Amino acid sequence: MEARMSEKLAIPNLGNYTIALDSAVRAMGIEPWSSTETSAYAMELGLRAAPDSLCLPFKAHLGHFIEADNAGCGHALMVNSVGSCRLTYYRGLIEKILKEMGRKIHVWGLGFDGIKPPVIRYFDPDMISFVKAILLAVEKIKVIDTLEIAAWKTRPLEMNRGDTSHLLKRSLRELAETNVKKEVRKLHSEFAKAFQNIPQDTSQKPLRIGLVGEVSVLRDKTLNHHIEECLGHLGAEVRNFFLLGAELGNIFGISVGGTKTHTRKYLAKTAKPWLNHPVGGHALDSVAHTLLCAEKGFDAMVHLAPAGCMPEVSVRPILSAISKEKNIPVLELSFDEHTSALGTLTRVEAFMDILKTRRRKGLV
Amino acid sequence: MADSKKQVFTIGIPRAFYYYTHPGLWEAFFQNLGFKTLLSEKSGEKILRNAVPHTESEHCLAHKLFDGHLLSLLGKADAVFIPRLLSLTKKHICCAKFAALPEAAQCGIARGTPVITVDIDENKEPLLKTLIRLGKNLGKPARLAKNAAENAIQTMHEEWKKQQAAMTAEKPFLLLGHPYTLHDAFIGEPVKQKLKRMGHAFETPVFTHEKLPESVTRWCTFGRMHRLITEMPLEKYAGAIQISTFNCGPDSVMLEFYRAVCRSRGIPYLVLMIDEHTGNAGMETRLEAFADSIQWKRV
Repeated sequence: MEARMSEKLAIPNLGNYTIALDSAVRAMGIEPWSSTETSAYAMELGLRAAPDSLCLPFKAHLGHFIEADNAGCGHALMVNSVGSCRLTYYRGLIEKILKEMGRKIHVWGLGFDGIKPPVIRYFDPDMISFVKAILLAVEKIKVIDTLEIAAWKTRPLEMNRGDTSHLLKRSLRELAETNVKKEVRKLHSEFAKAFQNIPQDTSQKPLRIGLVGEVSVLRDKTLNHHIEECLGHLGAEVRNFFLLGAELGNIFGISVGGTKTHTRKYLAKTAKPWLNHPVGGHALDSVAHTLLCAEKGFDAMVHLAPAGCMPEVSVRPILSAISKEKNIPVLELSFDEHTSALGTLTRVEAFMDILKTRRRKGLV
Repeated sequence: MADSKKQVFTIGIPRAFYYYTHPGLWEAFFQNLGFKTLLSEKSGEKILRNAVPHTESEHCLAHKLFDGHLLSLLGKADAVFIPRLLSLTKKHICCAKFAALPEAAQCGIARGTPVITVDIDENKEPLLKTLIRLGKNLGKPARLAKNAAENAIQTMHEEWKKQQAAMTAEKPFLLLGHPYTLHDAFIGEPVKQKLKRMGHAFETPVFTHEKLPESVTRWCTFGRMHRLITEMPLEKYAGAIQISTFNCGPDSVMLEFYRAVCRSRGIPYLVLMIDEHTGNAGMETRLEAFADSIQWKRV
């Protein structure tokens, strides 16, 4: 048992939420290994080892685990799913590929198979520290959600470009280093104030843009080429529709922070006239949020998907029809290993130009 | 969706996806109900060429062909039939893309044309009940709907029997793929033609909807294929040829597992990726090389 605790455990890449999972693992007495975005090196490793026709998140995950294996991790965690998308088989396939490469790392599924997934049984932390770790992670998720939302709001208004991103980065680092629940709570209120102190031009009325689509490209800044920052610096207030607090709220029906707004049932009801059945992944959410945003007067949506993503690509014709009928522009972005940051930026810039003209001419 | 109470005279059925997963069923069912059916032409370059400007560029080839078939029916039929395939076999599911098929078509390609749809989910209700429900929704008396459904399912089973009976060749290649790729005139047919010209026999599996034991996958077609390659007697077959279409999501995952099975069992395994730019020379060369290498192995 002592030996087990000294083994290193690689954390899946969940964007900034990695910080919360990381500290939960640490609190259980296991040494975590993680990064908040896929490194260029990991990407390269993943591309070399993965079958060609799989989607970008698969390649990123695989590369991440190979990098972890290089770093001496004996174990890795991966988010499982039981949906209809091919993600269901990703853990098995990654395990198979790693084995064929002669890698020793073991990939555990962090799935929805009971309160105690097999990985917990293996490491077997004592109950008290396990519960404490979960509570700490939940507390951190709340803080991260607050930070993200604050950053989306202030970025288009900041007087000195980069202030927001800088503060966000610093706050996240500070959060990562704080491992006592009480102090995390204290940080929470401090951070909120810090964002208000950024010099802002409040006379502006930024364009409001919703980001919907597949989770990995929504959250991993390497995969989406920092799209939140791009849009923010071009003067758009972004709302990314994957907030982990809200997501946990949707799944478990509990309230994590102030973000529990849309239950699965509610989203299904909203989407119904346009899509009568979930497609897998977050495709139904994309449709529902686009409809909700059109109602709330958002200026536009950006739909992100890895190239060839089964669920998200399937609903594109639906989004395009909604776009026409509800008069809300939807930009479709596809990401694979050949997508360049500059190409994405150019498309986003052109889109923003159109939106600004649209507003100026009073077409909205 | 379509106003199901309205009297619809001609129902268009695209010769794609569910036309092949339920052979003969839909035509028989709608005709028994007293409707006229209109089947799109066989797949070909024309169908694909017409589809390309309208279809989603990241769809798999089979989906692009489906969109082409759908396009060719518009204006000729009073309504088109697009069911939502969720599950064909208990405890199994279909490709995720089928779940959005009716709405995506209604919003995109088939805009302005009534769409007749029904959820086919063996996990919730058997096919017979689904068909009766569909018949009633189309304004037909329950009695007629029941007869039509039973009769149509009978037709489908006979169709399967015919497919089964056609497999008598000696030392054939086993062709693997989806029902809608293996029997498609654009995807599977050129491969079959080439094999015939080379003088090789081949077998295509019959994808019935009967129960399947649990396996590595929850996708029903893939479960059947997996069972075939894990159980097929080695001495009976020359090898397995997998016909895959470009950008097929489930294929991209499952073929890796099949490859492992074939390697461990010593089954010669060839994956042919068919895309929309197919000039047949590449496919033919690979088939020839595969057949040659198997022959050398035997010598």
